[in-house]
Amino acid sequence: MKIAISGKGGSGKTTISATLTRILARRGIPVLAIDGDPNPNLSLALGLSDSANTAAMPRSVVERREDESGKTSLVLTDSIENIIGRYGLKAADGVTVLTGCRVEHSGAG
Amino acid sequence: MRSVIGEIVGGTNEVTVLDMEASIEHLSRGTIRHVDVLLVVLEPYYRSMETAGRTVPLARDLGIGRIFGIANKLRTPQDEEAVRTYCANHDLELIAGIPFDESVVEADRTARAVIDYDANSAIVTELSKVADFLMPGDGNGGK
Repeated sequence: MKIAISGKGGSGKTTISATLTRILARRGIPVLAIDGDPNPNLSLALGLSDSANTAAMPRSVVERREDESGKTSLVLTDSIENIIGRYGLKAADGVTVLTGCRVEHSGAG
Repeated sequence: MRSVIGEIVGGTNEVTVLDMEASIEHLSRGTIRHVDVLLVVLEPYYRSMETAGRTVPLARDLGIGRIFGIANKLRTPQDEEAVRTYCANHDLELIAGIPFDESVVEADRTARAVIDYDANSAIVTELSKVADFLMPGDGNGGK
């Protein structure tokens, strides 16, 4: 199950994301929480202290590759497990949180 | 077009909660192509509801099958009615109405998660129902 949460800035979506994550985690479900913003607001809302928030994923987790037809796309440079293991932070109730990185000039993203 | 977050969401088998960027311009195919459920948060005032209203058709066009509304920061029955009416008129099923919750403010002030500050707060109670709705039973088979 992959759940995305959207809403206008200030609508409370980060608090809702964090709270829903922790509720699911308390039911024994391992949850990966991902902050779509490069700012670590989700980690804070999950209860991680400020000092625990090291860094967002670096842009080097992806690289741009060109296929045979000349179209470029973003490709992960490492396995998902390694990326989560390296950049994921452990929050309460067994939650893992990843903070997104901004990739410039990514077209339609 | 792919995105970093889209690739991670698609690549992991874990239950994933993605807190999306605020701007709906970021609602791109690359980011959400592996998303099963989109929860759209609405506050009971016009600009917030309009943002949600513009998100829904966009998300449907991008192929997300399950899209639900969550009303937040409701202070009065009129607030709830306003969101309910808006959702009904925009083909958005509302699955939760979270009252304005002082616990959220207090938790933020003390840099704690709301669920740690007060596990019985209104927002936790209401979102527990959302969890029941999305993942009936328990964690098993929750992929």
